[in-house]
Amino acid sequence: MSEPKRLHPAAIIFNFIKGIREFIFVLIFGFITFRDQSFGYFILIVLLLALIIVAYSVISWYRYTYRVEEEELRIEYGIFIRKKRYISKNRIQSIDLTQGVIHRIFKLAKVQIETAGSGNGSEASLKAVKFTEAQTLRDELKNEDTQATELDPETEAETTNHPFYKISFKRLFVAGSTSGSIGVIFVLALGALEFERFIPDRFFDNAMSWVIGLSIMLIVGFALALLLFLWLLGIAGTMIKYGNFTITKYKDELFITRGLLEKKQITIPLGRIQAVGIQESVIRQPLGFVTVFAEVAGGSLDQGEDFSTVLFPIMKRDEVEEFLQEILPDYAEQPQDFNPLPKRALTFYLFRTMVPIILLGIAVMFLLPQFSWVIIILLIGGLYLGFLRYRAGGYYLKENRLMVRYRVLSKTTMLMYHKRIQAFEKTQHKIQKAKKLATLKLSIIGKLGTGKHYTIKELDEADLDQLSDWYSYRK
Amino acid sequence: MRQPPVNRIARDAIKAWKITAAIYISVLWLATIGVAIITYNYTVSYWFISIAVLISALSTYLFVFLLPKIRWRRWRYEVFEQEIYIQHGILIVSRTLVPMIRVQHVDTQQGPILRKFGLASVTISTAATTHEIPALLEEDASDLRDSISALARVDEDDV
Repeated sequence: MSEPKRLHPAAIIFNFIKGIREFIFVLIFGFITFRDQSFGYFILIVLLLALIIVAYSVISWYRYTYRVEEEELRIEYGIFIRKKRYISKNRIQSIDLTQGVIHRIFKLAKVQIETAGSGNGSEASLKAVKFTEAQTLRDELKNEDTQATELDPETEAETTNHPFYKISFKRLFVAGSTSGSIGVIFVLALGALEFERFIPDRFFDNAMSWVIGLSIMLIVGFALALLLFLWLLGIAGTMIKYGNFTITKYKDELFITRGLLEKKQITIPLGRIQAVGIQESVIRQPLGFVTVFAEVAGGSLDQGEDFSTVLFPIMKRDEVEEFLQEILPDYAEQPQDFNPLPKRALTFYLFRTMVPIILLGIAVMFLLPQFSWVIIILLIGGLYLGFLRYRAGGYYLKENRLMVRYRVLSKTTMLMYHKRIQAFEKTQHKIQKAKKLATLKLSIIGKLGTGKHYTIKELDEADLDQLSDWYSYRK
Repeated sequence: MRQPPVNRIARDAIKAWKITAAIYISVLWLATIGVAIITYNYTVSYWFISIAVLISALSTYLFVFLLPKIRWRRWRYEVFEQEIYIQHGILIVSRTLVPMIRVQHVDTQQGPILRKFGLASVTISTAATTHEIPALLEEDASDLRDSISALARVDEDDV
């Protein structure tokens, strides 16, 4: 494959779309300014601009070539300034294939190549390559000759000797219906209750007589329909993102494919996993569902990507151990006896959640005294959340593995190895010191070349000192 | 982590911090003077100027006279063969362990104020964090940089 190759001509479309997107504001601005006078000239200029973008798209497609030569991926591109980018094979960390809607029509794929150091955006991205071609390219660029892993889940299932997990439709539905959008719905529902209190005087008295025509039932019905719509939107969003989710372990890599509209295939080398986490959101926790995710070092962050890589969107809590045993045996063991926070930490947790609510409460009492009852509800909720946070906090230490657990809204359990921790920090203020408590902060490598930091507040100081002895390389 | 690190940073750090703080605070005083002029010309309530003067005076005392000394007293560091141990913080005291095998690079830096006192700061970066030892004698800083970078060797098992 030493012949320089071009991308599939469909890349012209992508170039064109990108070009249009860059000029869209100019176009809108121009449209508004010249709407009345000299509109003809405007159209002419727009046509000219479109022509230039088309020409630009075609030329940049024509100039963009890639080939694999001497253990390197060599890309040459650029119109005025010719650029050459050579990426050595053993620098390549992962190769991801993505299929958007347009890609799937033409049976194409986008190939994204990432090296350890790439920051925002991948090191090289071939916008449109024939799908089969993309697979051979990936196999060629892999260090060892791993066989092609198909995007198609059916063929993938045939390789039964590799651990393989697939999301069921039912689970996906549960994931969607308990997704974050339900939180938005709660807020809106509260707002809807308030709606009625807000409206009467202004609306009914004003000339908006048609509102009276609408019975209150209709308004309630409308609100309910809106909530239902948002909820369904949440489900649809999850379905599109995580539909056909599969995860396979092949040799020392994990392959994840997901997405209904945009099919995405992600490769994660096991060696790059820094920590594995289990997240239980407030809504899913009572149902016993969790999300399993991993912190992966390096790599880029695509638009709309989460900061962590989801290993499985939703599963029952008691299935996690078995799942990890298959996929990531090093991270499998789930202890039951976490070292909890000491009792005297509870006051700190309650205080911390209460302060913003109390401040809000004071403001509300002065500005909108009729809503004081909302504050009471918030206070109760805040106290409960503070208590939950206190209850969630803790750690578990075994040999060279440390597990920490904390809650912001969702309860998160992170498991990491001694050798993965980049820095260990203990912070303590005067009050904590008096109570013999301290805060722990652990840092690991995250995406984007920045760190990920985990803090457990108000641990027993003696416990923390023990952890620091465990962490210290000075023995 | 039970014992604080043993080494202190350079004594002149206090002077350097005082000067830096004074520069920032002078901006605040300029603003205060602005308020004073407005108050004088437009007969605005004297409350504003009193509050502005109070704030400026208070922050001058805090940031120029009080805090640099406390900050200096808190700042400690110690370099072992296997790790670096740093303590800092005024209200919240933090103690950090950075293993040598995690250190990616060490820098020394020197701004105009530090240079005036013959000081330099040392910055230690890992793949996830950066840590700074703010003011050491130039000589010490470059020694420290050299010894850390000699001791820092990246683990084979690393990403």
